[in-house]
Amino acid sequence: MKKTATGMALAALLATTMLGGAQAQEDTIKVGILHSLSGTMAISETTLKDAMLMLIEEQNKKGGLLGKQLEAVVVDPASDWPLFAEKARELIEVNDVDAVFGCWTSVSRKSVLPVFEELNSLLFYPVQYEGEESQRNVFYTGAAPNQQAIPAVDYLMNEEGVERWVLAGTDYVYPRTTNKILEAYLKAKGVAEEDIMINYTPFGHSDWQTIVSDIKNFGSAGKKTAVVSTINGDANVPFYKELANAGIKAEDIPVVAFSVGEEELAGLDTEPLVGHLAAWNYFQSADADINYDFIDTWHAFTGDEERVTNDPMEAHFIGFNMWVNAVEKAGTTDPDAVIDSIIGVTVPNLTGGYSAMMPNHHITKPVLIGEIQDDGQFETVWETSGLVPGDAWSDYLEGSKDLIADWRKPMSCGNFNVKTGKCGGSEG
Amino acid sequence: MMTSFLFRALDKNAALFLGLLTAIIVAVPALNLLLPPDHPLHVPTYAVTLMGKYLTYALLALSVDLVWGYCGILSLGHAAFFALGGYAMGMYLMRQIGTRGVYGDPLLPDFMVFLNWDTLPWYWYGFDMFWFAALMVLLVPGLLAFIFGWFAFRSRVSGVYLSIITQALTYALLLAFFRNDMGFGGNNGLTDFKDILGFDVQADTTRAALFAASGIALGLCFIICRAITRSKLGKVLVAVRDAESRTRFLGYRVEHYKLFVWTISAMMAGIAGALYVPQVGIINPGEFAPANSIEAVIWVAVGGRGTLVGAVIGAVLVNFAKTWFTAAFPEFWLFALGGLFVFVTLFLPKGIVGTVTDNWAKVSRRKHAVDERPGDTPSTRPAPNPAE
Amino acid sequence: MPYLKSLLVVLCLLILPAGSAHAQEDTESLRPLINELAGGGFSETEQQLGVLAATGNPGVVPALEALADGDLYARKSDGVVFIGERDGRVYKLTDPLTLEPAGEERRRDMKKIKVNNGLRRVIRTALGTLTLMAPDPATRLAAADAMFKAQDPGSIEALDLALTQETEPRVRRKMEAARAAAVLKSDKPEAVKLGAIATLEALGNRDALSVLSGFLPEAQGAEVPATETAMARIDKTLAAWGAAENVWYGISLGSVLLLAAIGLAITFGVMGVINMAHGEMVMIGAYVTFVVQEIIRTSAPGLFNYSLFMALPLAFLTAGLVGIAIERGIIRFLYGRPLETLLATWGVSLILQQAVRSIFGPTNQEVGNPDWMSGAFELGQMTITYNRMWIVVFSLLVFAGLMLVLKKTPFGLYTRAVTQNRRMAASMGIRTPWIDALTFGLGSGIAGIAGVALSQIDNVSPNLGQGYIIDSFMVVVFGGVGNLWGTLVGAMTLGVVNKFLEPYAGAVLAKILVLIFIILFIQKRPRGLFALKGRAVDA
Repeated sequence: MKKTATGMALAALLATTMLGGAQAQEDTIKVGILHSLSGTMAISETTLKDAMLMLIEEQNKKGGLLGKQLEAVVVDPASDWPLFAEKARELIEVNDVDAVFGCWTSVSRKSVLPVFEELNSLLFYPVQYEGEESQRNVFYTGAAPNQQAIPAVDYLMNEEGVERWVLAGTDYVYPRTTNKILEAYLKAKGVAEEDIMINYTPFGHSDWQTIVSDIKNFGSAGKKTAVVSTINGDANVPFYKELANAGIKAEDIPVVAFSVGEEELAGLDTEPLVGHLAAWNYFQSADADINYDFIDTWHAFTGDEERVTNDPMEAHFIGFNMWVNAVEKAGTTDPDAVIDSIIGVTVPNLTGGYSAMMPNHHITKPVLIGEIQDDGQFETVWETSGLVPGDAWSDYLEGSKDLIADWRKPMSCGNFNVKTGKCGGSEG
Repeated sequence: MMTSFLFRALDKNAALFLGLLTAIIVAVPALNLLLPPDHPLHVPTYAVTLMGKYLTYALLALSVDLVWGYCGILSLGHAAFFALGGYAMGMYLMRQIGTRGVYGDPLLPDFMVFLNWDTLPWYWYGFDMFWFAALMVLLVPGLLAFIFGWFAFRSRVSGVYLSIITQALTYALLLAFFRNDMGFGGNNGLTDFKDILGFDVQADTTRAALFAASGIALGLCFIICRAITRSKLGKVLVAVRDAESRTRFLGYRVEHYKLFVWTISAMMAGIAGALYVPQVGIINPGEFAPANSIEAVIWVAVGGRGTLVGAVIGAVLVNFAKTWFTAAFPEFWLFALGGLFVFVTLFLPKGIVGTVTDNWAKVSRRKHAVDERPGDTPSTRPAPNPAE
Repeated sequence: MPYLKSLLVVLCLLILPAGSAHAQEDTESLRPLINELAGGGFSETEQQLGVLAATGNPGVVPALEALADGDLYARKSDGVVFIGERDGRVYKLTDPLTLEPAGEERRRDMKKIKVNNGLRRVIRTALGTLTLMAPDPATRLAAADAMFKAQDPGSIEALDLALTQETEPRVRRKMEAARAAAVLKSDKPEAVKLGAIATLEALGNRDALSVLSGFLPEAQGAEVPATETAMARIDKTLAAWGAAENVWYGISLGSVLLLAAIGLAITFGVMGVINMAHGEMVMIGAYVTFVVQEIIRTSAPGLFNYSLFMALPLAFLTAGLVGIAIERGIIRFLYGRPLETLLATWGVSLILQQAVRSIFGPTNQEVGNPDWMSGAFELGQMTITYNRMWIVVFSLLVFAGLMLVLKKTPFGLYTRAVTQNRRMAASMGIRTPWIDALTFGLGSGIAGIAGVALSQIDNVSPNLGQGYIIDSFMVVVFGGVGNLWGTLVGAMTLGVVNKFLEPYAGAVLAKILVLIFIILFIQKRPRGLFALKGRAVDA
């Protein structure tokens, strides 16, 4: 008897919460924020949630969008990948949001992709990633490999005269792909097989003694050596601590990282790391008035003068403004209309230039190489002369070099094969 | 034989539970498919999938309860069997994508093309056939559990030592599946499924069918568990739980009993995983995380250990709470969830079902002062010292 | 760039004696040259550096040092160059020549003169040449090191000159090595080069190997076999040291495992509480360290090197009190139901994680290494980092201390009595509830001081504890529940096994193999390495 009662109560509770959301159709435009606030990724993603809340607040101060106020809907997918899919569905179906800003890891993006496709909504993905993807409902505002990795390697080769390469990464898809691309690229540039060392470590690896010692050994072959690090966020702090203590100086063996930004350095004493590099599309130190204003707003919003800004925040800044512009252009938040109107939308980025949304749903960005400073900031030491368009399909990978993406009509295809002239991948 | 088996399995409470389950299995898909979306009683597809996920979790909890509640084996690695079942199903679903992957390779899944693999690894063969995958869903977790249990029970590893090595097992598998070299998609796992048995996985009807399938699987496994625990075998299991050495001295081959129920339980977890994957649309090594196994144990504890029904209720309740909390208070939900666990341990030591049955028993005893013993007291009694 | 470097050095040497005569009045004349630094890209800066160094005027040294540190700024409005120090939203400015304060400017009004690794190398070499004969031996050593890395034939004369006066043996050796390295790059005759090869072979370290292998492609005649033998010999020594290094890495990893597990060996091993909140106690210790360092940074920066000593008792107390609170509030109701402690402590761990996340934010917090824990020293051909070494020492001290407490104090006696036979202990007049609370507090407190040590090598974030909890349980179970010696031996064994596998199998596979090893080992010895004996264990 009691069991029935419990069951009934449970069912009722389920029903009310699930139906409850649908009725709340008020006069606001809802924006979903899908970033982990707990679990392993909270370290990186919580900041992005705050950044989105700030952007939405700022937009509302400017009068909102289409005469309506924006309303943020925050959920916590808790660094649990299937939960990302569930929460995405909840945002779109139950909360009725018009666009979602979120995800960090590749796997979380992969997990929500089918949901956005099925329910035809919009996702703005703000993190640098491995590429090899272009989906109708997703806008990739972070860097593709050609907007980060390749320019960084070029810099080391040309400016630092590096001849020997350690490609060290966490064992997941982003480092795997980036290293594949880099390996192919380096070999094309004439680097010999024995001058490339590839090393993978598990997530959250914290004992770097052996690897740092291996790097030292590898670096003592009389050729200028550099480390290209795709080590994932959390493992970087112990890695850099070991590096600093082992006395590997940037002038001798520089480390260029693609996943280390201001936020990661906040947990480190950067004094011994001065000169190690990172490649991004934005640094907090960017010398542009729009950036100083952004930082001031950020500090005012968080009430913390020490909070840093970083590249994925800029990506959200660009993505959000693009969405706002596209909605204004289309006069509606309807996803199909926005998908059509957003291509070609150009908005200011925080480094003093402009970024445009391209037909392959990636954006144009400047590429900056920065050196770590003793105050935990990066100093830009090199940047591309113009903007680099994001390449959804790498030219250096066998399976994807013939593929392009173009979501304009009439092509409307994310994996068009230029050889076979068909939409749908590299085979047949 | 069969009828007596069933008869034993079904007493009043179990029948009630199964009746309720059947009602849900019928009602939810019906309300989803037959009613128009604006009807007040319409169940959105979102809710169907969500409840389907809860049912697979409930099945996992049931399998944990079978070994923990009745045999005293505290597995902190049951998620491993769940995930292996899930991977077997995921591999089938991957093979079904065929040329619809982003690279359009007819044979290789996208992640292999992506990493320049040119041939399909041998262990991927056969997974294009549903029957083979379905067999593997049972066999892989079953075999692993059998081998693991064979060694562990024969060596008389028990109590907390067993718990920790089950955790080591799932942790080792977690690390292994993270490796891209393993050929299971590394951290990204398997995703972007298109269809199952020819039906589109995203279609409402398929979702409803998967929901129903999860419910039916749960019901069937419940009957099996019930049959096992109410048979003579079940009594021996309880004896093993409460006093392993004594049972052994009485002449029972304790390890055989343990091994049997352990393997059955792992296979159930595998089925749960297999049904979970098409509904959530992704399987990745995160499912092996030791925390997931611990959570499964917690569902059982919340619901009431050694009650079977309690495991189901605990799993649904905790996961519902999680769904609700993560949306309602995204910043503070861990306080609520953590608080719930502490509360349950301190104030409902027998779990929800155990406490309810106890109170019910007290009330009815007071009502009919005469001795009318309620349902299933032996099974709700927790062991005096289950860790040792 | 190498050409420019040598040019620079040569110029320095040539002009040095002439320039210093008019140093005083020339200081002001340097200003336009320094202001020129604000010019443009790196190559312009590098050229301008050449010009500055060529003045041979020691007045440029502060500016060069500031530039290397990235502290040189130009005012956007008039292009005047200052040394700047960041202070909130402004820079405090200092004149680069007179070193007088020069007011402050808003950050957005100043432009930093950029410096990269290449420039830093040039500056280092230039400063090295200027400081090769400095009075401070440490400076001379750094200068010699810079020369060694620069491998610039132009520096041979300067080194020869310096060697005639050098008395410190350590600096002498470095200078000789630097000279040998430079000789290999020069066009000196074969005999000289063979001598240099011998010098480097005697040095016998990785740096020497690096120089030699760089030289090998250019070697001619008798130099080739000489280089090859030298390299082979160095390789052989290094390989032997490599094995020693692996053992050390293993011990170091083992000490980290020991620290992480030792508190659990009490709460779980001795008391039987499946303490899932153990990791969070470690986390609390790490956060205490962070708070202590923050307070020191703002109020007494001079004490920073003692921050860890202050953090230790505080971490012990904080984590210990939290532990006692958990024991009194929750766990005491659960004795005899150990598996339910799993459930409750899991809940506690979620709450503690979220509490720390709400208070300190989800991001990593910076915990600095005090000076005595930074850097490394050489033991033979092995580099030992100070922080790892102190952690090994510290973990052994903690272990010894804990053993003392448990074996030699009345409290330890009571603890053992209560855990072995609660009722008997109670009837002997021991207040068992208090002993329970204190023992749990002790275990938690030890976890807290482990957190202080771990904050030195790992992230200080709300996830810190989660990273250690599984490993800790493995160590305690592997060693044998209830036996502290087992925890010690278990931790060291797992550490060394892991590190020996890592070079062959890679980090991931090594860890998997260690886990499989634990599973198999438990089959062999179902109660761990050091099993408790007797009937009590089978209750």
